[in-house]
Amino acid sequence: MSDAVIALQGITKRYASGRVRVEALRGIDLVIRSGEMVAIMGPSGSGKTTLMEILGCLLQPSEGQYRFKGRPIHQIPPDGLAALRGTELGFVFQSFNLLPRLTALENVELPLSYRGVTARERHARAHEALLRVGLAERLRHLPSELSGGERQRVAIARALINRPSLILADEPTGNLDSRTGEEIMALLHTLHGEGNTVVLVTHDTRIGDQVERRVAIRDGRIETDTRSP
Amino acid sequence: MVLVEAIRQAFRTLRTEKLRSFLTMFGVLWGTASVVFLVSWGLGVQAMMEAGYSRAGKNLMQAWPGVIGEQFTPATDRRELWFTTADVTAVREQVRIIDAVAGEARMWSTVVFREKTFSTDVRGVEPAQTELRGVRMAAGRGISRADLDHRRRVAVLGTEARRRLLGARGGIGSWIRIKGQPFQVIGIHARVGTQLWRDQGEELDAQVWIPLTAFFAFGPRFGSDADIVNTILLRLRDRRDYDDAKREARAIIGRRLRVSATDEEAVRIASSLDQLRKLPLEQTSTVLLLLGTTTLLIGGIGILTMMLDSVQERRQEIGVRLAVGARRRDILGQFFLETFVMTALGGLAGIALGVAGCRVLASFETADLIPLPILRAEIVFIALGVMTGVGIASGIIPAWRAAKVDPSVTLRAE
Repeated sequence: MSDAVIALQGITKRYASGRVRVEALRGIDLVIRSGEMVAIMGPSGSGKTTLMEILGCLLQPSEGQYRFKGRPIHQIPPDGLAALRGTELGFVFQSFNLLPRLTALENVELPLSYRGVTARERHARAHEALLRVGLAERLRHLPSELSGGERQRVAIARALINRPSLILADEPTGNLDSRTGEEIMALLHTLHGEGNTVVLVTHDTRIGDQVERRVAIRDGRIETDTRSP
Repeated sequence: MVLVEAIRQAFRTLRTEKLRSFLTMFGVLWGTASVVFLVSWGLGVQAMMEAGYSRAGKNLMQAWPGVIGEQFTPATDRRELWFTTADVTAVREQVRIIDAVAGEARMWSTVVFREKTFSTDVRGVEPAQTELRGVRMAAGRGISRADLDHRRRVAVLGTEARRRLLGARGGIGSWIRIKGQPFQVIGIHARVGTQLWRDQGEELDAQVWIPLTAFFAFGPRFGSDADIVNTILLRLRDRRDYDDAKREARAIIGRRLRVSATDEEAVRIASSLDQLRKLPLEQTSTVLLLLGTTTLLIGGIGILTMMLDSVQERRQEIGVRLAVGARRRDILGQFFLETFVMTALGGLAGIALGVAGCRVLASFETADLIPLPILRAEIVFIALGVMTGVGIASGIIPAWRAAKVDPSVTLRAE
């Protein structure tokens, strides 16, 4: 258990919207170890995005315990969670979520600017991260001047900038054509190959099937948890 | 996030939302310009009023003789009083608070120059009058002590009197006739302008001044042998002494005339200060400041509304920032600074506009009683202060809203 990045125990999430109560998650137990690549799969409405938000510390579970590298999340104050998101986690979203007014380089630098890193070091590290995702030549472009695949590469570079313990990717290929999607998947596989822990959320079985460990979710419960040999 | 970063971000928002930012900033700009301009203009009105009321003589009181007050005499036929030059001398010797004293006699008389005749206010004055009345000489000289000592038949004319009597043809040295007696013009007063307060008679500009002794040479008045003056002019060092000075004058004159020092009917005293003190000048300034501040507040509300919209539109951005490690207070600070930078930019431009407006208007020459703005450094500081307050007030609500954004909802793909 010592190398578990994520340990979930009985995680339940209820939403109350008006008089309707929705149970998005109903008792999830899940352990993800360092260096694993995991695909969380399920149809829309299965609760997989809620699960990812809880993993990303953007949402507090209603019940159950979440330990991140052994630390119980519910004991960490809000500022501590912000710091954890900034240093231990890297997010990749379906709709990229780049800031439209910032250049590619500035978008990648963003997590560092909240950590008090000097401008010079920010530039150097962002530059390096963009090199890793193969975008060394489009540093000064705004997101609107980049293709979908390029935008997602910028987003991945942003997720990598703090050398996080966990990369969380929510439908990273969802807004891309299949060829570009494959390129992005190849990039995520490469990052995994370099030792990064990657958690991928997808409803696309073709994407999921490429991944060594697959967790299928339905109606807020884990249905299957399978590993490829 | 560091301050510099937030300020850069604020400028970036301004650049990408040029038109909207400008339109909202214009409210603050106009507001601060209003504060600067209206308060300056208020000072201008005050100065114009003071000038208008001071044109009969600054900090000047006038004492007239009256009749003994009802409560001070048993007689139904109350004694009439008059002032003589001896009274003037006595007052001059005894005053402490009052700083200058002069007697003045007056009559309504025809004045003739060649074939031109007109009736005006002729005053017998002492040399001190020129200073007490605050008039400057446009040409020649004023009435001197020697003129009085030798009962010289000399005259000093106000600009209006000169225009109507001498016209273009006569100046210093011209001979005029007052009540048939020849007088030589030795001086012309500079224009005084419209007086908001005057004693009975013409304004200074229409008066003809002659030495008090020459005035008495026209013969005894009111059937008395004494040299009778109509009024005693009394000048104060400081207008705050007005009430004390009045009391002092009544006490001294009362002793001379053997009337009570509290008999306001016996010794009548009036001054432009009576009116000036009644004017709501302070209140006017306050109202103008309020007016300007309200305009600025409305500008602030414009910025507030725009920033609330902006927060709504940029929820995604806020979510991203939170996801990459921003603390709530980083978001709070960012949006607060953006609002504040916008307010400050608009405000500084407004102050510049207000100052420029005041400068331009103040450079115009206008008629007597049109107030011109008077700019003071304090006004700029007031405007800066109010603007800062508005910036803070309109920055807090959007910033607080921004910091409340729920990242989990905003980041979900549609």
